[in-house]
Amino acid sequence: MTETATPHLPEIPNLITLVAPHLPHRIGHFLHTWEDPIFAFTIVAGVGLLVAIAARKLALVPGRGQALAETVVEGMDQMICGILGKEEGRRYLPFVGTLFVFILSMNLAGLVPGLKSPTSKITMTGALAFCVFCYVQWTGIRRRGIGGYLLHLMGEPQGLFGWLFAPIMFFVEVIGAVVKPVSLAARLFGNIMAEDILLGVFVMLGTLFLAWSHLPVGIPLHLPIIPLVLIFSLVQALVFTLLSTVYIAIVLPHEG
Amino acid sequence: MEQATVDWAKVALSSTLPLTLALAAMASASGLGKAVTAAMEAMGRQPEAAAKIQLAMLLGCALIEALTIYALITVILFGIGFLKV
Repeated sequence: MTETATPHLPEIPNLITLVAPHLPHRIGHFLHTWEDPIFAFTIVAGVGLLVAIAARKLALVPGRGQALAETVVEGMDQMICGILGKEEGRRYLPFVGTLFVFILSMNLAGLVPGLKSPTSKITMTGALAFCVFCYVQWTGIRRRGIGGYLLHLMGEPQGLFGWLFAPIMFFVEVIGAVVKPVSLAARLFGNIMAEDILLGVFVMLGTLFLAWSHLPVGIPLHLPIIPLVLIFSLVQALVFTLLSTVYIAIVLPHEG
Repeated sequence: MEQATVDWAKVALSSTLPLTLALAAMASASGLGKAVTAAMEAMGRQPEAAAKIQLAMLLGCALIEALTIYALITVILFGIGFLKV
């Protein structure tokens, strides 16, 4: 188990923590500092490569890779259009679908030997939540206009009581608009960090069991944790995506 | 025997933080139980809508779970920062 200089919770070693000590000090330090973005880019490259290979020759009767990619896209399409409606759903499907696939692959990367979940750091989840925040505000301002968006933040006041409560509503809505992405980030970060710590602690226990024999093996005590990690990674990616969709739905103007 | 000084701040935090987390977990478990119960009853009443109900239940459960996660993050941050785990 590698532990950083400051007393820290045990974490499973990944490619960077294994390779960096053997490299010159400055490159090793650079790799350690930029660990999460490096892994995020690697995951993006890997997933992108897989999908590009699957979508190379689009046939009417799909092969296996194309069928898998189509299943994912259709599933996301059903979910998003269920919340946003047919045409609006298709418009926002690229952003939200990418969010889902990206977060899911980053969450599951923690299980791959040698990789690490970038979403286990608040910086990565905060960046994702910031993207959602900017996109939702931009969507609101673009679809409703600045005046219309400010009216929406005041709760669309109609009549005397509407305008009396408008300042309070505005205040509460602004706080809500800031707190909702923060809660998105904290939820995803907390779940994935807890999974990482669980895995790390159980692997450490497993290696401690056989430490007396000085063999490089241990008991895989983390086996029961792996289904938990799988389920919660999927659920958290789903929840992040669904909540982003709901925030977009709230900010869109009503039909008719 | 050498003088063993007691850091009462650490004693206080070490005894109350796990209890706080357990309290948050208990409250969240109670809320989750109610949510899942309602979802199960609705699914039993109308099995065709099971997929939609399941989706809504998952969303609600994650929102409730998030509050426990906030407590967990706070306790872990206290442990790393103050108690130097």
